[in-house]
Amino acid sequence: MNKAAQKIVRFRWPIIIGFVAAALFFGSRIPRSEIESDMKAMLPSDMESRINTDRIDELFGGTDMLMVILKSGDVLEPETLERTREISRQMKRIKGVDKVLSLFELKNIKAEEGAMIVEPAVRRIPENEEQKELLRKDIAENDIVYGSVISKDFTLTAVIALLKTEVSDIEIVKEVQDLVSKIRGSEEVFVGGLPFTRVQVTKSIQGDFRRLLPLGILIMLVFLFFCFKQLRGVFLPFIVVVMSILFAMGLIPLLGWKIHVITVLVPIMLIAIANDYGIHLIAKYQEYNFEGNLFTKEELAGKIFSSLSKPVILTGLTTTAGMLCLLGHIIIPSRQISILASCGILFALAASLLFIPAVVSMLPKAKPVILARNDKKPFLEKTLVFFGKIVTSRAKAIIVFAVVSSLAVSAGIFFVVVDTDPNHYYPDEHPVAYSGRLVNDNLGGAQNISVVFQGDIKDPRIMTKIDVLEHELQAMPEVGNTTSIARVVRQMSRALNDPAEEWYDKIPDDRNAVAQYFELYSMSGDPDDFEKMVDFPYEHALLTARLNTASTKKMDHVIDRVGQRTDGDPDVALIGGFGSILSELAHKVVDGQLLSLGLAIVVIGILLMILFRSFVAGLISAIPLAISITTLFGLMGIFRIELNVATAMLSSIMIGVGVDYTIHYLWRFREERQNGLNPQDAAKKTLTTTGRGIVFNALSVIVGFIVLFTSSFIPVRFFGFLVVVSISSCLMGALILIPALCLVLKPKFLEPKSL
Amino acid sequence: MKVAKIVIAVLSIYLVGAPLEPQENLDAKQIVDRSFQSTKLAGSEMLSTMTIIDDRGRERVRKIATVSKLYDSGKTEKRLIRFLSPADVKGTGLLTFDYESEDDDMWLFMPALRKTRRIVSTEKAKNFMGSEFTYADMTPPILDDFTYEILGEEEIAGTSCWRIAMIPVDDEVADENGFSRRIAFIAKGDFVIRRAVYYDLYGELLKELTVEEIKEIDPKNHRYRPMRMVMVNKQNDRKSVLNVDELQFNPDVNDEFFTTRYLERY
Repeated sequence: MNKAAQKIVRFRWPIIIGFVAAALFFGSRIPRSEIESDMKAMLPSDMESRINTDRIDELFGGTDMLMVILKSGDVLEPETLERTREISRQMKRIKGVDKVLSLFELKNIKAEEGAMIVEPAVRRIPENEEQKELLRKDIAENDIVYGSVISKDFTLTAVIALLKTEVSDIEIVKEVQDLVSKIRGSEEVFVGGLPFTRVQVTKSIQGDFRRLLPLGILIMLVFLFFCFKQLRGVFLPFIVVVMSILFAMGLIPLLGWKIHVITVLVPIMLIAIANDYGIHLIAKYQEYNFEGNLFTKEELAGKIFSSLSKPVILTGLTTTAGMLCLLGHIIIPSRQISILASCGILFALAASLLFIPAVVSMLPKAKPVILARNDKKPFLEKTLVFFGKIVTSRAKAIIVFAVVSSLAVSAGIFFVVVDTDPNHYYPDEHPVAYSGRLVNDNLGGAQNISVVFQGDIKDPRIMTKIDVLEHELQAMPEVGNTTSIARVVRQMSRALNDPAEEWYDKIPDDRNAVAQYFELYSMSGDPDDFEKMVDFPYEHALLTARLNTASTKKMDHVIDRVGQRTDGDPDVALIGGFGSILSELAHKVVDGQLLSLGLAIVVIGILLMILFRSFVAGLISAIPLAISITTLFGLMGIFRIELNVATAMLSSIMIGVGVDYTIHYLWRFREERQNGLNPQDAAKKTLTTTGRGIVFNALSVIVGFIVLFTSSFIPVRFFGFLVVVSISSCLMGALILIPALCLVLKPKFLEPKSL
Repeated sequence: MKVAKIVIAVLSIYLVGAPLEPQENLDAKQIVDRSFQSTKLAGSEMLSTMTIIDDRGRERVRKIATVSKLYDSGKTEKRLIRFLSPADVKGTGLLTFDYESEDDDMWLFMPALRKTRRIVSTEKAKNFMGSEFTYADMTPPILDDFTYEILGEEEIAGTSCWRIAMIPVDDEVADENGFSRRIAFIAKGDFVIRRAVYYDLYGELLKELTVEEIKEIDPKNHRYRPMRMVMVNKQNDRKSVLNVDELQFNPDVNDEFFTTRYLERY
């Protein structure tokens, strides 16, 4: 027992009280944390598309759309129209609703017997078939509503509330849902739009917390009992996990952060990872506490500390290093997860090394679990012995097989798709995904890209520029519906001029004519009809292209086109919108992924080089990691699992955790070689002794992450799946590939030092 | 029967230019009616400035010239508005025939297009020239479309006023006029509205009208005009100010002004 261990025994009370008090203090902060469901909050405030979008909101008011969608065989049926009108009317009353877009609010500008008429798209509810068909014809010609608040097949109509910027999502969504349930009818009704998605996300986060945590803890308790068959073996690592979760989560409000969609991963990661060190200590305790041993409880406590402090600290450090590499991600919650999880792991590391021995030194000695002579070899041990045999006999074949198979799987990398669409957080049948699809396919699209023009908007030069860009965008298959002031001017030009006249369906080439169009409109329309298209002094105009897709590739196509057409144009002030944010986010996710991955490999490689004082050590341990990564991305491509905010964090976490097994193996193998065993025997011995610990360690991680399969969020489920796959591959790497590599390459750093 | 004819003639003159009845005997509806009559001018020529101010204080200023004349013994008012500035809409003209009991006729002439277009608008709730004033605010309503109630009396800027509620008889009228209730403060002396508060279709405060600088334009018939009207929209914080810069009483305005032919002569 070394000095540090003696100190732990001597100061066991202060240690125990200190850890418990710290955990309680941080835990008591948790109720103060707030949930952040705004996707924009994930993005750093210096991100260009975010700045631009905020600026657009400032100029034109909020553009967040909360919508109610009615579905029926024909939405022009009087009952459906009446219900739509009532919803539209009452929606206007809701506080926080800036403007309502619906068949009854949006306008129809048309010419009739020499008069320009501005009236609601549906002015009167048709009373007979004839009127209904007339209305259908009217609507089909009114491009302000056709394909945007009414689907082209007349089976869907939307009532869209544009929200004020300061409004609370939860309150407004609830009010709209209450309103819809009050105004009954036979149509199917769906609520959709980003505010709705955000509320669902918030609810799912809360639901996930309530479900995943207890489930994860339960599974972990069962797993620990299965491993150690002893109460202290269950509760000591468990208490460490709970304390580290309290500590990490308590940090959130203390650091002034909020809980994001993916922050839910932190406690889950801690359940899976934070007990690893405790598991090793308990295993060692049981190893020393063999049948008939004469150690006192204090001696046992000291021994487990002194024998394990070094490898445990090292594996803890590599895991933390991997976590910290997530700092390379631009997404704010990734960076926060990185720091929270690292702090939690370091806390768990300290608690495992100090708190567990302190408690063990006080508890009466446990009944030995490992009996003197084994009567029957368990399955695990048999498997490890088998590994030892094939590793020693077919080392080269293993290496070839590993390289070939990972190369084969790596082909899938080319199919990896980046996706940041919040609708894809959910399965297809979920209301968020369903209403999102309805909007994308039939009602003009849910995401938008906005271009702000500046200058004298009534100037035909600028007006024509808006018109040209709008037409070009409108022609793109990715673009659903577009709105701009130029479109309104055109529509007025059709109402004011006869088809044979020069200015019919055109932007007039006379500034005064444009101004007079608007003056005419102001005589019969509402002054705020244009407020989302042009600002009050006619100095800024907004062209909005709604996208019927959230696929990064397709959004990029539109954004690139906008970029090409507006590049260097002094009349174009800003390009923004949620679509451009999602697109920029997707690129940052990929960049962040590559950066954090690269960092993780380099940092961990360096740690290993320092640990084994060898350059080759770093390289060798990087090989199974590289194979795991290629397998990971390959499988993502093959199974069409998208790279998104959650899955993108995977690789560096995986590296940090997965390298532990390699470290344990190499450490023990070198020890056995120094103890005089030949490489083959050392490999076999390592596999059957430390190999057992490695398997338990990996299993605890896999078991811990398995609960993520029940998350409400698809990316989080995939994250769970991918962790299981990649940790398994790291495990196999450490148990089969690394031994084979050591036997074939015979690296110097593992050879016994000649005295 | 000469005497009888004279009596009738005298009586009709007396009735047209009816002097004030004892105020105590008027009910709410009569007060409102008198209030609308009190600003009707047989004919006028006017220069005014409309300033539309958005919620951030940015302004849009229009200078307009207006001529108006009453026809059909006051049942129809014809009005020609000509834009003087800003330059881009200069010359734009609006001709309105404001009938007592049917939808108004309106034509707009746009000099850049050299074209006159009829404007069809059945909704009096429509904002006038993009301001916070609606057509309903600018023209007398159909009296029977509303019910009236005297709520009390109150002093506005030193003038003793009735406080009178005006409530649409049904939803359709409410929709058309854009309010569910209007409370007007009508001066007991000259019957001119001093202040009015509008409630939207859901009963929430919508707009507030303040009327200032009332001048007697036609002393013989006791007809008045405010020189300044301010309408503040309490829901979107927009504000419009209609300022009369010059006003000339002229019952003999040339009838030719009120033709589309004249509208286009610019």
